[in-house]
Amino acid sequence: MWKYVKKLEYPVNIQKKDLNMAKALMAQYGGPDGELAASLRYINQRYNMPDGRGKALLTDIGTEELAHIEIIAAMVHQLMKGASIEELKQNGLTAQFVEHDHALFPVDAAMVPFTATYIETSGDWDADLVSDMAAEKRAKVTYENLMKMTNDPDVLAPLSFLRQREVVHYQRFKELREFYKQKYQKKDNQ
Amino acid sequence: MLNENKILFDPYQGFIRGNMFESIFDQYGNIYSFKPINEQAKLLTYLDMLEFACIDIGLYLDIYNDDNKKIEYYNELNKEKKRILDEYESKFGPIELCSDYLNRSPWSWDNDPWPWEV
Repeated sequence: MWKYVKKLEYPVNIQKKDLNMAKALMAQYGGPDGELAASLRYINQRYNMPDGRGKALLTDIGTEELAHIEIIAAMVHQLMKGASIEELKQNGLTAQFVEHDHALFPVDAAMVPFTATYIETSGDWDADLVSDMAAEKRAKVTYENLMKMTNDPDVLAPLSFLRQREVVHYQRFKELREFYKQKYQKKDNQ
Repeated sequence: MLNENKILFDPYQGFIRGNMFESIFDQYGNIYSFKPINEQAKLLTYLDMLEFACIDIGLYLDIYNDDNKKIEYYNELNKEKKRILDEYESKFGPIELCSDYLNRSPWSWDNDPWPWEV
């Protein structure tokens, strides 16, 4: 089961409205390498990890990604807060307003809806871990691109934190895969 | 297996970097420090920092499950985190549903602020 803690893993306190940034950030909310996809990917893959190490790591990283969904949501919410219809229209958010007003909805930066096909589960620990390492790398690059879109330290600080978490998660998936390759005597091409 | 995770940042330096492990830290852009505006923000930052250190060292221990020194350190941090959580909830209200500070009327779980409104 999961328990809620009524705080963010990393604080978000954005003072300045920025609709362009809000729209861009949706990449990490409902996009293919976003936090929602990451969380569901690991939480679904954990059942096929061959031992406790993998089950623990995928559970714990999947859980942390849930907390990251909340950080991104808080950022989008604060960046859009108080935006007028005119401002939304001018920033490419007409469709957002018509269908969802100011509400959160899992789409990517181009308003493409979240889909379950982002959640890769193969039933094979090696295929899954290679895919997870790649997903963390792609998410890191997306965070770097997002950081190039703004000078606001209120936005940059949580983005920088989230980017660094991708670095750490990549490292842990890599270490788990190395450990399993030794334990189960599996080579890279097998 | 080569262990690249020997040296740790202290919990505050780790938290502001998003990484407790010096050797795998990958800096990109600035490092943002915290300037808490009041006692509540200060205590929350301290709690966030301890919680983060536990999360990050926990992921490490999932893999290196026989690193006794880090298990010991994890438990030290966890103990301090529980102490700070209790102090925070006693002063500013419950942030966990199993909190001892939900023992009063009216029910205070629904109190502001919510995390995205701070």
